[in-house]
Amino acid sequence: MIRSSALSLAVGYVVLGITALVLFAAPLWYAWQVTILEGRQEFLQADAQRLADVFRRDGADGLKSFIDTRVQMQIPGERILLLTDASMHPLAGNLSAWPATVPATPGNYTIKFNVRDRGLQTALVHVTPLGGGYNLLVGRDNALFAPLQTHFWYGLAAAIAVLSIAGLLIGLITRHALMSRIHSIRQTVSAIIHGDLKHRLPTQLNDDELNTLSRTINGMLEQIELLVHGVRNVSNSIAHDLRTPLAELRSRLEELALIRPPPEQMYSEIDGAVADVDRVIRIFDALLRLAEIDAGMRRSGFVSLDATALAENAVEFYAPAAELKNIHPLFRSDGPASVLGDPILLAQALSNLIDNALKYAPANGTIEVAVLKRGDGTAEISVADNGPGIRDSEKSKVVERFYRGDASRGTPGVGLGLSLVQAVAKLHGSTLSLSDREPGLRVSLTLPLDAADAPALATQTQDGAAGSVLASATLASS
Amino acid sequence: MKILLVEDNERVSQFVVKGLQEAGHTTDHAANGRDGMFLAASEPYDVIIMDRMLPGEIDGLAIIEVLRKAGKRTPILILSALSEVDDRIRGLRSGGDDYLTKPFAFGELLARLDALHRRAQAINTEIPLTVGDLHMDPLTRKVTRGDRPIALQPREFKLLEYLMRHAGQVVTRTMLLENVWDYHFDPQTNVVDVHISKLRQKIDAEFERPLLRTVRNAGYTVTASD
Repeated sequence: MIRSSALSLAVGYVVLGITALVLFAAPLWYAWQVTILEGRQEFLQADAQRLADVFRRDGADGLKSFIDTRVQMQIPGERILLLTDASMHPLAGNLSAWPATVPATPGNYTIKFNVRDRGLQTALVHVTPLGGGYNLLVGRDNALFAPLQTHFWYGLAAAIAVLSIAGLLIGLITRHALMSRIHSIRQTVSAIIHGDLKHRLPTQLNDDELNTLSRTINGMLEQIELLVHGVRNVSNSIAHDLRTPLAELRSRLEELALIRPPPEQMYSEIDGAVADVDRVIRIFDALLRLAEIDAGMRRSGFVSLDATALAENAVEFYAPAAELKNIHPLFRSDGPASVLGDPILLAQALSNLIDNALKYAPANGTIEVAVLKRGDGTAEISVADNGPGIRDSEKSKVVERFYRGDASRGTPGVGLGLSLVQAVAKLHGSTLSLSDREPGLRVSLTLPLDAADAPALATQTQDGAAGSVLASATLASS
Repeated sequence: MKILLVEDNERVSQFVVKGLQEAGHTTDHAANGRDGMFLAASEPYDVIIMDRMLPGEIDGLAIIEVLRKAGKRTPILILSALSEVDDRIRGLRSGGDDYLTKPFAFGELLARLDALHRRAQAINTEIPLTVGDLHMDPLTRKVTRGDRPIALQPREFKLLEYLMRHAGQVVTRTMLLENVWDYHFDPQTNVVDVHISKLRQKIDAEFERPLLRTVRNAGYTVTASD
């Protein structure tokens, strides 16, 4: 309880408030006390002076009767007057005896005395020795100032009380509100810890700190769920993709051991077994490459490279294979496009895209690869085919990690092609975009142009014409 | 060739030693880093096959670094289960000449050893190449077979040049990808085969003796002998 942050914060504020209040009141109190004391002392001195004048003018008897008249006219105890002779015997006044604590020397003293009906009172007294051994004591009780003092203290106490209670109350309320929200967060989190990733932290409409935090955490959970889902998916996918060649390999070997066929057949079976193992290795390689790219380690291998040359080489590399399907890949560009990137990975991504296009384009179909600079200082690399394309519902999933479209199940390859392209795009700060060509699919990724190419781009776009220096080249080899 | 194999896995060692012997090479085998270092430093070898991870205090890369510092220029092929590009770069930086990841096809290993050995005997890139009646002049970029000129595209020229420089040796698809196209990945499909068959059309189709031959389960070779 004590360690609750809301409560200790409230206690801290209360203590701070009280300290401020005391710091404010203390000098006030001191100044007040000093002023009042001085005023009263001056007042008593003036009074004593007046009585001394009467003594000088009318003698001891004159002063005695003057004092008697004054005493009779006033409220008992309001003013203290005492005239004594040399032996301290009271002659006139409203004190029955000279107070024991007060010496007969001139000065100001504080005394305590009893007054009828009002009990023990404190008073400030002034002692003036008159001539001939007579002593005069003039005083005034402090009762007049007592209510003021009391009010001051009560006021201060009340302020402190209100501050403390309100502070603690607010602290408790805040703590309660906070605890109930934290409790619900804790429940959600423990549900997540126990494996149910579907839960999300409760959020309200307002934008307070806890809500902002909750929303951020929810975003994180979203990503984690996606990744875990992806990992589960890939585990299944790996299991499936590895199981198939491994099962084939196993049955092949088992059959060889069992049947022991003639050497000719045995050799071809062994070749088949090696091919099965190669398939397994290829899947592993693709997965390792993906993991490597994902870890972002390859960013150290970034160099300035010409995307146009890279794409042109890839097109040229695939051209003979495309011609087997009577496809003549088309390559378009508007000159060299210098970008910062990993040449090996970009070449692999391009190769995967062209390979895919080649796989899905029909015989006599078209494949178009383009590297075009755009107005915003980027270069767009795109690969398009006129194959069946990808359904809208599948588009987002294809780009998603580890997804294999139904259409790709039956085709050769390990099914990580687009995932790898997506990972490479992500490593280069780009995203893969898929669009329809009706018919066909167009996959593109944009890369920021290197500084060297950006100014050239500006003048080019000013020329206005769409694709001003468009050089089209059909890479059909002779 | 005299070859040193430094490899701790018994099965892999047996397989490699036997294969190399069948291919006509003499092979010494060291099963740990200490023996490997000793043999590599004291005996003259044509090529060294070095496993990266070895038992004992000395690993493969450390041995290579020591050998290079000692001035030994023997070509070294690193054999490793670490396949990441950065591992490869580190391996080559330490002084290795080529890098092959496990698991590997024996044909690939053999072809790469041949290439390494050949590379070590300095090649003059300006001397015309000849295989049988096929001639190539790297300077004028003219290719003729018999007395008939053959027109090749630049990439086809590069492909044939690489094959002819390794005439009589087996050249694998991976080696072609790396050296002709500078592609350090597996393009999954048989694109290289298509390029080869196109080249074959140009240099072999109209001639009685084929020079560009397919080596089963390994790759290709250009040779005039039978």
